[in-house]
Order: sequence, then C-alpha cells, then structure tokens
Amino acid sequence: MSTMTVKVRVWRQPSPDKEGRLVDYTVGNVVADMSFVEMLDVLNEQLVAAGEDTVAFDSDCREGICGSCGCVVNGVPHGPGTGKTACQLFMRAFTDGDTLVVEPFRAKAFPVLKDLCVDRGAFDRMIAAGGYISANTGAAPDGNQLLIGKEIAEKAFDAAACIGCGACVAACKNASAVLFVSAKVGQLSYLPQGQPERYRRVVRMVDQMQKEGFGACSNEGECEAVCPKEISTLHIQIMQRDYLRSVLRGA
Amino acid sequence: MKRLLALLSSDIGRKALMGLTGLLLIGFLIAHMSANLLVPFSKEGYNEYSHKLITNPLIYLAELGLLVFFAGHFVTGIVVTLKNWGARPIAYQRKDPAGDPSRKSLASSTMIYSGLVLLVFVPLHLVTFKFGPWYLTPDGSMRDIHRLTIEVFHSPINLAWYLIALPILGFHAWHGFGSGFESLGVAHSAGLRRFGQGLAVVLTLGFMAVPLYVLLGGGAS
Repeated sequence: MSTMTVKVRVWRQPSPDKEGRLVDYTVGNVVADMSFVEMLDVLNEQLVAAGEDTVAFDSDCREGICGSCGCVVNGVPHGPGTGKTACQLFMRAFTDGDTLVVEPFRAKAFPVLKDLCVDRGAFDRMIAAGGYISANTGAAPDGNQLLIGKEIAEKAFDAAACIGCGACVAACKNASAVLFVSAKVGQLSYLPQGQPERYRRVVRMVDQMQKEGFGACSNEGECEAVCPKEISTLHIQIMQRDYLRSVLRGA
Repeated sequence: MKRLLALLSSDIGRKALMGLTGLLLIGFLIAHMSANLLVPFSKEGYNEYSHKLITNPLIYLAELGLLVFFAGHFVTGIVVTLKNWGARPIAYQRKDPAGDPSRKSLASSTMIYSGLVLLVFVPLHLVTFKFGPWYLTPDGSMRDIHRLTIEVFHSPINLAWYLIALPILGFHAWHGFGSGFESLGVAHSAGLRRFGQGLAVVLTLGFMAVPLYVLLGGGAS
C-alpha cells in the first residue's frame, strides 16, 4: 500500500491562559484511507516516541455522528468537502507533500483549553436556558393520537440533525451561533409538543446566546456550507421571526 | 418604547432594524434614481419636479424620516460590527471561503467599509446639491437645480468621486437587499437575492447616468 507524507502546521497552546502558536510537523506513513483524526493519531504516536507532549484534540465516535471532533483544516471547519466532520475527512482529500494548517474553532465564546480542544460549554448553557420541553412523566401517549404532517416532521428532523459540533460558529466571520440556536429552537417549535413554550424558549436561548458573546448573523451562509449535517439557514429566519414576534409582543 | 429598547438591545433586533431601515433607504433610492433620469431628457421637467418636491409641506416629514432611517441604519451597523469583531478576539491564521451553498461575497464581507464610504458620501452629497448654490431659472420662478447638476459634474474631482462612490453604493445594496429581508425573518431564496442584485445594478447604472451624461458633453448650453 502506498503511503504519503504530509506537513502539518498545528496550533499548540499548553493551556487557556498561555500564548499559542503554529508548530510544524512532518507526518509520514499516512494512508489515503485514514481519516484526518487518524492522521493526528499517527502524529501523536510520533510525539510519544520522541517524548514530546501530544496534540490534544476532541474525538469520540469517529463515525461523524457525535459532534466531538472538529478543528479548522486549511481555513475551513472540518476541512475540505461537504457534509462531514473532521473524523469523516479522509486523507485522500490531500496529496503527498501537502501542508495542512490545523487550528482550533475560534470564538470568544469557545475558549481554547489546550491545542485543538475548545470549551463548547456555551452550547450546553444555551440548551439549558430553554432548549427543552416541559413534559409530565407517565406513560407515553399513543403515537397516532398526535398527527404531524410529513413536511413538518421532515423539517423538525432536519433541525434535529444538529450534533452541536460548533463548526457553524467557527466558520462565521462574526462567530455567530444562530444556526445552532435556530436548529435547537426549530426541532421543538415546529412540533405540537414544543408549542406551549415556543416564544419563551426562543427569547431565553437568544438572550443566552448574546450573554455568551457570540456575534450577529450576516446572512452569508458559511455556517450551512460547513455544517456536517447540512442544516439549512432557513431555520435562522424562522427563529428570527419567532424572536421578533416575542419581543414586539412584549413577551 | 420599552419594546423598541428590547429590540435595540438584542443582536437579532438590531439586525432587523438595520435591515428595515436599509430597505426603506433602497426604496428612497429607487425614487431618487428614477427622478434623476429626467436630467438628460428635460431640463424644465427636472426643475419642475424638484420644485414640486421641495415646495410640498410634507417634504419636511419625508426628510425627517430619511434622516431617522439613515441614522438608525449606520448606528445599528456600526454597533453590530464592533460587537461582531469582538466575538473572535484571536483571528485564524488561515481562513478560506467555505464554498457552496454559502452566499459569502466580496460585497457581503465588506459591508462596513462600503457603508463608511456612504457615511461620508451622503452628507457631502447634501452639501453639494441640497445646500449648494441656489441658482434661479431664467424666469426666476424656481430653483435651477439642473444648472447646478451640470456644473458640479464639470469638475473632474466631483465626477471622479461620484463615479467611484456610486458603484460602492450599488455594491452595498448588492448584499444589503437580500440580507435586509433575511434579517427581518423573510426566508432566503435565490430569487429574492438575484432580484436585489439586479436592483443594485439598475440603481448604480441609473445614478451613474447623470455624471456620465455630463462627461459625454451633455447639458452644455
């Protein structure tokens, strides 16, 4: 099997309060069918062998569904290509001798913890602010009692596909989180179960988004282009409508 | 009032106000550009139109409205931009465009700069024309704004400035029209965006028609 060698310029930052910088490494024995994070594993094996500190990065399922991994590869969150996370970015996207610039997702609301690991706790706090429904416990109602049209179900599912990786924030020139928030608002507000708290939810989540220090939306759609789940920016306009309606009603 | 303050204190509210005021200003520009097209065709018609416009008592209300829209637009624009810049304190070493389906363009990423040019352009434009020399028509019945227009564009500096600033205005509207509607919660569509881009081109060419007409020797009496 033929292998390739790539140059990797990785952001190294020992801790949140220390200065970081790009450090150059050469990674050999890279197989085209390796994923990008597997290439980072190879790099870390080299570093361990050399007795150096390994590159810290988040990773969990390695099948593109958990939302843990993510970094900016050659200027694009999750790297080149569409509809995939960094673990589903394969080294065949690059050629022998390529240089890969690897940086963490950058936003004031996503402080770097170490190297490529950022604290995405802001996303959790926005969910905690209102991204839920209040349901009484007890037996689940019969599925057929609550009829939901196919189009509405599809729209809600599209929003619910969000895995909360944060690539939308990383891609946005304003580090805005509106695509994430609109997906988390939409997955509930399109459905009957989400109606009772619909307006309170959007106001609380949007207010929390501002408190976290994310920017505003410039309607460019970079977020949708890098989203591993290709979530549409149409959810953003629906969320904005709900938010403006709530504020103008004095909710 | 309380609701307006709530609106002004949120990013989504500020962007909605920026979009609304921007769209209203584009509405004004359509009327302004259409009237300008009288310049090459009818000197009397243009003067008469201007006379009717400035002698209508409602003009003060309209001017107040325009002032509010303009001020509201650039204040929200600057506030939102400063906040956006603060949302990413450490810049990327390398940042590439994400590609399709992103609508990012040179226009969309330079709105604050094109806007700042317009913030300089609009007051200068008012000083040049609205508050400029008050010539009277030969019969002395009304202002000869046509004569002033021709005179202004006989100056190469004015001519160059307008021929630079007007495309920047169009550039600003190129992204602004579609984005304004989106900020108000109107679902984005390729059709709406293309309509806005077409409108921006029409506005730019329409406004440039007058200085170009003078450049090509029009209006020489």
